[in-house]
This record gives sequence, structure tokens and C-alpha cells, in this order.
Amino acid sequence: MNDSLLKRHITIYSEQLRSRRLWNIFIILIFAVSFFMSSSIIDFNLSQIIDGFPRLSDYIVKILPNLDINLILENSKTEGSIQYWYFNFKKYAALLYETFNMAVLATLMGFIFALILSFLSAKNITPNIYSYHLVKRILEFLRGVPEIIFAILFVWALGVGPLAGIIAITIHTTGALGKLFSEVHENADLKTCEAIRSHGGNWVSEMRYGIIPKVLPNIISYALLRFEINIRASTVIGFVGAGGIGQELYLVINFNYYEEVSAIILLIILTVITIDISSGRIRQKIIGEMGV
Amino acid sequence: MSEKDIISLCPKAFYPLWKRSPIVFTGYILVIFYFLFCLYYFDFSLGKILSGLSNMKPILVAMFTWNDFFNWNFNSIFTGLAQTLGMAFLGTFLATLVCIPISFVASRQIFKFGLIRFLIKRFLDFIRGVDILIWAIIYVRAFGLGPFAGLLSIFTVDVGTLGKLFSEATDNADARQIEGMQSTGASKVSVIRYGLIPQIFPIFISQSLYFFESNTRSAVILGVVGAGGIGLQLTERMKAQYWDQTLFIIILILIMVAIIDTASRIIRKNIIDE
Amino acid sequence: MASLEINSLVKKFSETTAINDISIRILDGEMVGIIGKSGAGKSTLMRLINRLIEPTSGSIAYNGIEITSLKGKNLKQWRSKCAMIFQQFNLIDRLDVLTNVLSGTLGINFKLLKLLKIYSKKEKIEALTYLNNLDLSDKALQRVGTLSGGQQQRVAIARAMMQNPSILLADEPISSLDPKNSKVVMDDIKKINKQDGIMVICNLHSLEIAKEYCDRLIGLSDGKIVFDGHPSSLTKELAEQLYDLENE
Repeated sequence: MNDSLLKRHITIYSEQLRSRRLWNIFIILIFAVSFFMSSSIIDFNLSQIIDGFPRLSDYIVKILPNLDINLILENSKTEGSIQYWYFNFKKYAALLYETFNMAVLATLMGFIFALILSFLSAKNITPNIYSYHLVKRILEFLRGVPEIIFAILFVWALGVGPLAGIIAITIHTTGALGKLFSEVHENADLKTCEAIRSHGGNWVSEMRYGIIPKVLPNIISYALLRFEINIRASTVIGFVGAGGIGQELYLVINFNYYEEVSAIILLIILTVITIDISSGRIRQKIIGEMGV
Repeated sequence: MSEKDIISLCPKAFYPLWKRSPIVFTGYILVIFYFLFCLYYFDFSLGKILSGLSNMKPILVAMFTWNDFFNWNFNSIFTGLAQTLGMAFLGTFLATLVCIPISFVASRQIFKFGLIRFLIKRFLDFIRGVDILIWAIIYVRAFGLGPFAGLLSIFTVDVGTLGKLFSEATDNADARQIEGMQSTGASKVSVIRYGLIPQIFPIFISQSLYFFESNTRSAVILGVVGAGGIGLQLTERMKAQYWDQTLFIIILILIMVAIIDTASRIIRKNIIDE
Repeated sequence: MASLEINSLVKKFSETTAINDISIRILDGEMVGIIGKSGAGKSTLMRLINRLIEPTSGSIAYNGIEITSLKGKNLKQWRSKCAMIFQQFNLIDRLDVLTNVLSGTLGINFKLLKLLKIYSKKEKIEALTYLNNLDLSDKALQRVGTLSGGQQQRVAIARAMMQNPSILLADEPISSLDPKNSKVVMDDIKKINKQDGIMVICNLHSLEIAKEYCDRLIGLSDGKIVFDGHPSSLTKELAEQLYDLENE
């Protein structure tokens, strides 16, 4: 290697190094600026953490149950037993069941609406381009607005209770699943649709026999995933009065029924985890085989 | 061939539906039945929905009549938006910082203590099991109303999720590069610095960006329980029935989320390409 | 005698002209093979006849009825009258053979119940009869995806027969099959043509097969008819020209 070539390589290398360093400095600068701007706008500072931390640990200690290992299996009259902690268990169970049903109903209804709309908003199969753009925008709006905001609105219109929550979750589910479903349709192969059209079949038959059998395992597994999300959503949508166990949790937190807070939160965690696990199993099975 | 002969070729095809594939049939019936049961359970009647919708009518009308637009308190609205972004940014940023060491400890290839790994993983599971709004209520109780509680709830939930994703990424890192470093007799710190970080850093950054994006969405709703940001502005206006401003804020939120989505998608794409 | 008449038919895609001024008259009961290299416009012609795509200009008439202007119900009726089978079979892989065959009735007799896979006994018997004629009755409840290519194409033929068609359009029916299955499928198509007197128009890539099975060959090149006549009158030079224009 001669001298000039070596020199050129060194120059190129050091130039690259310099531009990379500049780039890194630039990124770090952006981060620093964002960090300080964010901190100032939300009053984030150490003293707040230091002040708040004891209060947080206080609160956590208060909501934790007073279990006494010797009395743990005693009846609900004895302080320190599990039954005393969960004296309201029947009510919680009923509310959890209501929460579960809210998620089921919202997922099923959202699934049906999303399925219908997804055929209109999939570019390759939509009957006409105007409905495609219109439905696509509608779905974007439905999933863009958080369900809890819809819930507040429906509590105004329908009154306090699970109905408002169900409708809110249904709307959000329609938007979210509608988008996913139409993406699945857009990846589907249209050969069978062409065959059904060549028989003189109408658009509905094309969708039923040309698309649905191909996409069903995918969309069912998306729907189950959404069900898991909706279970979580329906546990908290009650915070605004839209039914389910969240309504009770909000109440006990505001009235400082400390031990009940941890009792309910623990139940919610167990429910969410159980449903995540079982729905995950079903999803794996469904992806295997399904004939519809 | 007579009809009977044809039927005898495949009698099963002529069975009624429930006899042909009883399991599938029962499955469908159960789903339909449970659906109807739920409708009954919640007293879900069309009349109720329709009367509810008629209650919605004045709200919708009010949403679209913007009379005193120039007198709205834009200052509080845009501060709310900035707070939401700030919460999302800081929450994700701090969680990323905390999750990097967690992921090293939770990674099988670097630390051999199974028990610690197990405990960390279960702890992360627990954090993720609690919804962000529940964290927000608890923090509001402890730290008072305001965006600081929101920041902490985003941070907490992100530690749960990013911690899991990061440690999966370190677990999946190429073992040969780490072994290569270990074979030179390098210290644990240099093994991590040169054997592991170059492999996983792009993944971390891209995941954090993705979470920043989804956290802006979560940060919007935290205000519902008093944890600051644009959500607080929104719920206050809904409580006061300022429906015109409600719609305005919802539109602003949609625009903000769309911008963040697009920006983060572009940046993530560039990072993965590099 | 009933006939399909195509007059100065043109189909242009944005840049290219796929069908360039074609006029043909095909009689009922004929078995016509359309030959030519890929890209010659064979597939486009099939789809134009079935009206899966719209012609740029020209006319197609069956029994004196203009096809190109049909709309709505009449169009669907026309499509079910001219059944079509495809190179890739285009069946519903996840459903059983019988349901696939029954789906051929969706055009002529649409009912909402059919969307729930519920078909009448009469239709099921008809479908099984066709399957039996094609030696497939034992596979009736098997999933289509599990069948071999040759069996799948025969299921597609049974589906086409469910439409009680006057014309059978076969778009490269044997291109994805091995020689043995190709023969079975072509024999079945020939049988339909001879026994039921159904007009068959068949796109074929292989000249050998076309000569063996068809009464009449139409050679297409760059969207134009370059040959129309009995297979025996196709000269070797012309055949070479049809398939290997680039080698000139």
C-alpha cells in the first residue's frame, strides 16, 4: 500500500469518525433538551420524590392486609384471617363476573362490527373506493379516542352502570380490530374470490367463501388478544362510573377502606393473569387447524 | 343411479348439522348462547340504547357549535398537551435507564444466579398485572394530583414491560460474541460493554421509542384519575359540559398521537437500517 | 344452433394491448383449444368472455344476446352460465370437497342460508353425483387442501358442473399438474364436452395435448389470431412461430 492511499484512508476514516461523533453529540443534546423541558413542565424534581416516597410506603403499608399467621384460617370475625380480609368476597366475585361479561360482550360485538367494516376498508376487496376511505377514517377515529373517554361520554348519556362501559369498549374494539382485520384481508390471496365471482356469486359470497376461510384463524387469534386487553380495560373503566369491579375499586380507594384496596387489586391481578394464560393457550391451538 | 345410491355414497353429508360435526356445532351454540345471555344479563335492550343515543344528541350538537372559540383557555390546553408529552418522554426515558441493568441481571448468559432471575421476573410480571390507571390512582393518593403521579405510573408500567422485553433481548443475544470476550479474560464490565451492548443496543432504542409512542396514548388517559396532562383538561371540560372544547381537545390528541406515531416510525426505521 | 360470437374485441391495459381486434365464432358442442405462448392474451380472453374484466371495445354475444352490456342480475346469470376452471384450481382449501362443489350454486341460486354452509338435499345429491362421475365421492368430506393437484382440479370441474353451464372455460387447467393427472383431467373435460354437449374453450400451453384433445385450435400471438382451424392443418412452421417468436 503506498503512502497516498494510506493517507486517503486515514482521512476518510477520521471524517467518518468525526461525523459519527457529531451525530452522537446531536442526539445527546436533543435528549438533554427534552429531558429538561419535560422536567420543568411536570415539576419533576428530587425533592418531590424524597417527600413523596415515605407517603407512598405509608400508603402501601396501610393497604396491605393485617394477616396473622396463627389466625390466618379463622372465620371472618377474627382480625388477621384471610376471611376477615376478604369479608366482602361475594360482592367482589359478583363484580368480577360482571367485569368478565362486560369484556366478553364488548369483544363479541366489537368483533362483529369490525369484521363487517373490515371488508369495506380492505383495499383489495372493498366494493368501492369511497367506502374504503370513509370506513378507514371512521375506524381511525374509533381507535384513536381512548375507551375511557368514550366511557365518560356514555355515562353522561346512558347513566352510571356497565352499559356505558360495554359500549365504550365495543367502540374502541371495533376500531382496533377493524384495522387489524382489514390488514389481514389485504394480505389474503384473491384466487378463490375470483373463482366465486366467475360463478356469478355476489360480493357477500365472495367474502364468505373467498376470504373468511383463509383469514379466520388469524382474526380469531387477534380477537382473543383483544379479549385479553378488554379484560384489563373493563377492570378500570369503572373509575368513571362505567361498571365492573373498577367502580368498586375507585370507591374503596376514595373512602380509604385500605385493606379492601389490596384485596380487590390482588383479585384483579389474578383474573388478568389467568385469562392471559388460558387465552394464550387457546390462541396457540386455534392457529393450528380450523375449518369454517 | 337412484337417489338412494347417491346418498349411500356419503350418508354423513346428509346428516343434520349437529350430527355432522357435534363439537364445532356445540361450540358455536355455546358462543351464541353466552352472547345472548350477556345481553340479558346487562339488560341490553335496543330501546335503552336508542334513548341513550337521543340523550347524546344535544351533546353532539354542543360539540360542533363553537361559539366563543377565542375566549377558550388555550394556555391550559397546550400546557396539558406538553405535560402529556413530558410524562411520556420522562417515564420512558427513566424506565429505559432502569431496565438496562435489570436486563443484564435477568439475562441467563451473564448472571448465573437462577433465584434472583426468577424473583426479578415474577416481580416484573406483578407490575405488568396491574393496569396503569390503578398505578395512577395509587400515586395520586401518595403524591397528590398532577403530572408527577402520571410520570411515575408510566415509569412503573414501563419497567414491567421494557424489563421483560430487554431481558428477552439479552437472552437472545449471540452467545459466541460474549464467549469470545470472556475467553480473552476480560472483566465482567468489558464483557457487557463489548460483547453484549453492541448487539442489543439498537433493539433497546427501538423498543423504547415504540413505548414512547404508545405511552403518549396512555398518558392521555391518566388525567382521568387526576394524574395530570391533557386528560385532566379533557375530563374537567367534560364534567363542566364544555362539549365544544371537549371535541377540540380530542382532535388535538388525535393529531398529536398521529404526529408521534409517524415520527417514531421514521426514527425506528432508520435505527434498524443502520 | 347456439353460438358464441366475438366481434372485433379489444382489451387495452394502461400500456399494452392484450387483445387486439379479435373476431371468432364458436358453436355449441365444440371443443376449442386456445394456444400461444404466455403473455399472448389467452387468459385475458377467458376473463373477457366471463366478464371478470371489461373489454375496451368490441362485442361478445351468446345466442344473439350481447354479453358486454349485461349488468347486475343478468351479468351474474351469464357468469354462472359460462363456468370457469383455473390453473391454480382456486378452491376454498380449508373447506371440504362437497362444500366446494356446492359453492358453484352461489351464482344461480343464492340464499342467505348458504352463507352458513346449509344447502338443500337436492343440491347435495347433485353435487355428489358429479363427484361420483369424477370418482371423487369417497373424498366428499375431506378437506380440499389435503387432496392432490389432479384431484383438486377435478373438484373444480365438479364445482363448474354445479352451475349447469352452457360453456366451460378452462384457463390452463393442467399447467400445475403432472402428466398422469393432466391426462385424467383432460379426459374428464373431453367427456363433459362429448357427453353433455357443453362448449369447451380451453387455454393450453402444451401443443401436444391441444392437438390430442381439441377439434379446433385458435392460435394467439400478441393479442391477435394467427391461426384458426383443425389441429391437422397447423403447420410445423406456424407452431414454432406461435411458441418461439423471440427465436426468429
